[in-house]
Amino acid sequence: MLKVRLHRAPPEGAALRVLPLAEGAAVPEPFRAAAAAARFTGRAGQALHCLVPERALLVGAGPAAAPLDFARAGGGAVAQADEETRALALDARGLPPEAAAALAAGACLRAWRCDRYRTKDVKPGLERLDLVVDRPHAVAPAWERAAAAVRGCLLARDLVAEPANHLTPALFAERMERLAEDGLAVEVLGPKRLAKLGFGALLAVGGGSANPPRLVVLRWKGAGGAAPVAFVGKGICFDTGGLALKPAEGMEEMRADMAGAAACAGAMLALALRRSPAPAVAVLALAENAIGAASYRPGDVLRTLSGRTVEVLDTDAEGRLVLADALHYAATRLAPRAIVDLATLTGAIVTALGHHRAGLFATDAALAAQVAAAGEAVGEPVWPMPIGERHREDLRSDIADLRQCAPHGSGAWGGRFLPDACHAAAFLRAFAEGVPWAHLDIAGVALRKEADALGPEGASGFGARLLDALVAMRFEEGKG
Amino acid sequence: MLEIVFVKPDALPRSGALVLPLAEAEGAAAAPPPGGLRQRAEEATGGAIGRALEAAAFKGRKGQTATVWAPGAGLSRVVAVGLGKAAELSAEAAEAAGAALQPAVANEAEAVVAAEHLPPALAVALAMGAVLRAYRFDRYRTKEQEEDKPKLRRLAIATADPDAARAAWAGQEAVAKGVYLARDLVSEPGNVLTPAEMAERCRQLEPLGVEVEILGPKEMRKLGFGALLGVAQGSANEPRTVVMRWLGRSGAGKGGSNGAAAAEKPLAFLGKGVTFDSGGISIKPAQSMEEMKWDMAGAGAVVGLMAALAGRKARADVVGLVGLVENMPSGTAQRPGDVVRSYSGQTIEVINTDAEGRLVLADLLWYCQEKYEPRFMVDLATLTGAIIISLGHEHAGLFSNDDELAQRILAAGKAVGENCWRMPLGEAYDKQLKSDIADMKNVGGRPAGSITAAQFLQRFVNGKPWAHLDIAGTAWASKEKGSTPKGASGFGVRLLERLVAEHYEG
Repeated sequence: MLKVRLHRAPPEGAALRVLPLAEGAAVPEPFRAAAAAARFTGRAGQALHCLVPERALLVGAGPAAAPLDFARAGGGAVAQADEETRALALDARGLPPEAAAALAAGACLRAWRCDRYRTKDVKPGLERLDLVVDRPHAVAPAWERAAAAVRGCLLARDLVAEPANHLTPALFAERMERLAEDGLAVEVLGPKRLAKLGFGALLAVGGGSANPPRLVVLRWKGAGGAAPVAFVGKGICFDTGGLALKPAEGMEEMRADMAGAAACAGAMLALALRRSPAPAVAVLALAENAIGAASYRPGDVLRTLSGRTVEVLDTDAEGRLVLADALHYAATRLAPRAIVDLATLTGAIVTALGHHRAGLFATDAALAAQVAAAGEAVGEPVWPMPIGERHREDLRSDIADLRQCAPHGSGAWGGRFLPDACHAAAFLRAFAEGVPWAHLDIAGVALRKEADALGPEGASGFGARLLDALVAMRFEEGKG
Repeated sequence: MLEIVFVKPDALPRSGALVLPLAEAEGAAAAPPPGGLRQRAEEATGGAIGRALEAAAFKGRKGQTATVWAPGAGLSRVVAVGLGKAAELSAEAAEAAGAALQPAVANEAEAVVAAEHLPPALAVALAMGAVLRAYRFDRYRTKEQEEDKPKLRRLAIATADPDAARAAWAGQEAVAKGVYLARDLVSEPGNVLTPAEMAERCRQLEPLGVEVEILGPKEMRKLGFGALLGVAQGSANEPRTVVMRWLGRSGAGKGGSNGAAAAEKPLAFLGKGVTFDSGGISIKPAQSMEEMKWDMAGAGAVVGLMAALAGRKARADVVGLVGLVENMPSGTAQRPGDVVRSYSGQTIEVINTDAEGRLVLADLLWYCQEKYEPRFMVDLATLTGAIIISLGHEHAGLFSNDDELAQRILAAGKAVGENCWRMPLGEAYDKQLKSDIADMKNVGGRPAGSITAAQFLQRFVNGKPWAHLDIAGTAWASKEKGSTPKGASGFGVRLLERLVAEHYEG
C-alpha cells in the first residue's frame, strides 16, 4: 500500500497536486480558463492536467455527496498519474474528514499492483500520498478506519492474484497464521483433524489433489460479549473442475476461485486493524479441486459434516460442497448471530448479473438489505436474487438427502438453461441451519475485467470492504 | 371452456359428484355445519362421508384431495378438497382448491361444489381455479376415444349468495377467456399460426368492441420499421403488426361506457410475436427447437389481455401492439453483421440473428410512444434464455425505468400467482451494447444477457415510463402447477388485467 501522510499544507517537493472538484462547482481561479477550454465540469471520471500557471491535476468528484464519490476521484487521480510521478498531494482542504479519508483510500486502491513475479523492467510508480487537510488530527481517525478497509481489500487482492502453485491450501493457511500479528486468533485444521470431525464434503473435494485441504478459523474478539457475526469463504485454490474437467480456455482464471475466502480474510484484517468493537469469526474452506486417482466422482454420495448425505452430480460444482461443511461448522460451533458467505460459485450468476453486481441470496430480509446498503456505500454493488420452492425441489435425489445441483440437460430449451446460482443457494441454505444467512455469489466480480476508478484490471478484492462496512453499519450498535 | 353456474344450496344432487371444500380446522373429524349440503349428504349416507374422510386421513391441507366412491344417496362420488388453514383462507387458497378439484371430477357428467360457507369472492376464486385447470388443447387429436375426454361441461357452485357470485364471476370469466385465448395461440404450431394467421385471429376481438388495425409489410416499409422487417425478411410468411384498441373510458369504442368523456392517455401493452424462431442464420441447436413455436407468447398474452379487458368492459383506454414475424434462415435472411435502421432512426448492428425479439420490439416501442403517447408501456417477451439461467421458472424477469410501475406489477403478479422478480438496469450494462460501426449492437455478450437485452429495449422507449417482462421461463409450464396445466401458461394476462383493475379504472 502507498505511504500516506497527513499535512496541513502542501509539502515542498515534487508531489503532483491533485484538486478534486464537485460537478458544477467553481474551479479555482488559476485553473478556471483551462477548465473552461477543456470543458472540465467536475463530472465523475473527468480529469484535467493543468501545466500553467502551475502544475495540478483536476479530478471530477461528480455529485461529491458520499465518501464513495471522493474515493473514485482519488482513484481517478492515480489512474491519470504518469510513470514518472512518485508522489501525489491530494488537496482535501475544506472537505469533511470522511471525504478526505475516502480520497486517499480510493487512490491507494487504484494504485495497487502485483509485481511480485516480474523480474525485469519493473516500472516504478507511485510511492507516496500527501493528504493535505485543514486539521490533520481531526482527519486521522477517519483515515485509520479507511486505511484498515483498504489494507483488508489489498490483502484479498494479493491472495487472489497469487498463482495456485504459490498458494496451495497449506500455504494459504500459513499466510493466515501471520494475521495473528495483527490481533486475530488463528486456528488451522489439517486433513487428519478434518477427517476426525467428519468434514466429508471438504475432504472429498480436496481428495484428488496432492495438496490436501485446510479449514482456517479466524477470530476477532471485538469488545466481547455479543455473539459474533460469521463470514464463510469458498477457498478453492485452484479449480480444474475435477473429473468434470473444465475446458482449457480461461482455466487459468480458476486460481481466483478462492476469492471468497480471500475477501473474508481481508475483512477480518480490516476489523482487527481498526479495532472494531464487534466480534467476528471467519471460516475459510481451502481445497484444490484437482484430477487424481483419489478424485471424487459424479454419482458419489458424500456424508457432510452436518450428517446430511449429498449426491454428487458434477465435480465442478465443488464450491457448494466445501461451503456446506464450513457453513454447518460456523452455524453449530461458533454460535453466530448471522452468517454471510462469499463464493465465486456459479457461471449462472455471470449470465444473470454480468460483471457489475454480485448475486445476493438471503433468508433474512433485514440482513439482506444491510448487505446491499454496505455494497452500495463502498462501490461493491449486489442485487437480490430469489430462492424458490422449485429450486429446492430440483435438488431432490433418488438416493441421498439432496443432490448438489440439477442434472445437466434437465433445464429448459434442450436442457441448456438451468438456474444454477439459485440451485446453489437453495443447497447452501440447508447448511446455515436456520441462522440468519446471506450468500454472495461473486463469480462475476472477483476479477475486474477492465480497470476502473477503484482498481486496475485483475483481482478486485470484492467483498472485503463490503463486509467491513456491513459490520460498521449493523453489528457495532451500542459501541458508545 | 368449463361453464360455471352459481346455485342456491337448496337440494342435494341426486347423482354425479359432490365436492366439499374443507379447511384444516373443519376436517373429517369436525361436525359438518348444520343445514348445509354437507350435513344433508352425511344424513343421506348415514355418516359414511365423515368416516371415509377420517379413514383416508384427509386433513384439509391446501390442495389435498380425497375421493369417496359411491357413498350412497345416488352420488357417484364425494370429493373433499383442502383449503388450508381456516385462519389463512384466501383467494389464492380457494383458487388452489378449485384447481385441485377439477381433475377429480373431470369424468363426471355433473358436479356440485358445496361452497355455501365461502364468501362469494372465494367461490369465484375457486371457480377460476377449476376453469383454468380444465384447459386442454386437443385440436389436433383425431383418435382420442370419447371416454378418454373429460366429460364435465358445467360445474355448479352452491353458494349463499348466487347473485353476488354471478356478478363477480362475469368479470373473471372474461379474464379466463383471455387466458384461454393466449394459451390457444401459444399452443398452436408454427405452420398453422403464421404472422398472417395470428393477425386474423386478432380480428376475432372486434365483436368485443376492440378496434383492430393490421399493418402489413407495405405499410411497415412505408413507416420505416427497418428492425422488424430485417427479422422477417428470411421467411416466406410475411410479417404483420397488429394494433388493438379498447377505449373503455373515453367511450370512442363500441364498448365505451361514456361517450362524452375526453380521451386520456392510454395504457400500452406490447408483445413479441415471433411465430416461429429458428434463430435465422445464427440457427439454434436442433434439440428442443420445436419449443420455439411459443416464441410469440408475449404477443399471445397481449391479445389475451385485450380480450379480457374488452370482455369485462374495463373502464380504461388501452392499446395493445403485437409484432408478428417468423425468423427463418434463407437466401433472403438477414446476416450477422448487417446494419439496420430502426423506426426510431437509430442504427443497429445485428451481431446475432437469434437476438431478434428485441429488434421487433424496438420498432414497436418507438412507434407506440410516438403515435399513442401512452401513460406507460409494458412489453412482454420470451426474450432470453439468460432469464431462465438467472431466475428459473417461478419468476418472470421485471425490468423498469419507473419504480411505481414496477412495484404495481410486482404486487399484481403476486396477487394472481404470476410472480415477477425485479432485475437491475444501469449504464455499465448499457455499455456492453457499443458497436464499432452503428449506434448499437443487438447483443451484449453472455454476461448479464437478460439485462443487456432490456438495456437495448430501453433505448427505444424515449424516456417514457416503461416495464419489460422477460417471460422466457414462465410462458410454458414443463409440469402442471396449481391452476396451470402442463403447456402454455398464458402468463401475463391475469397479471396485467389485475394491474389495470387495481390502479387504472378509478
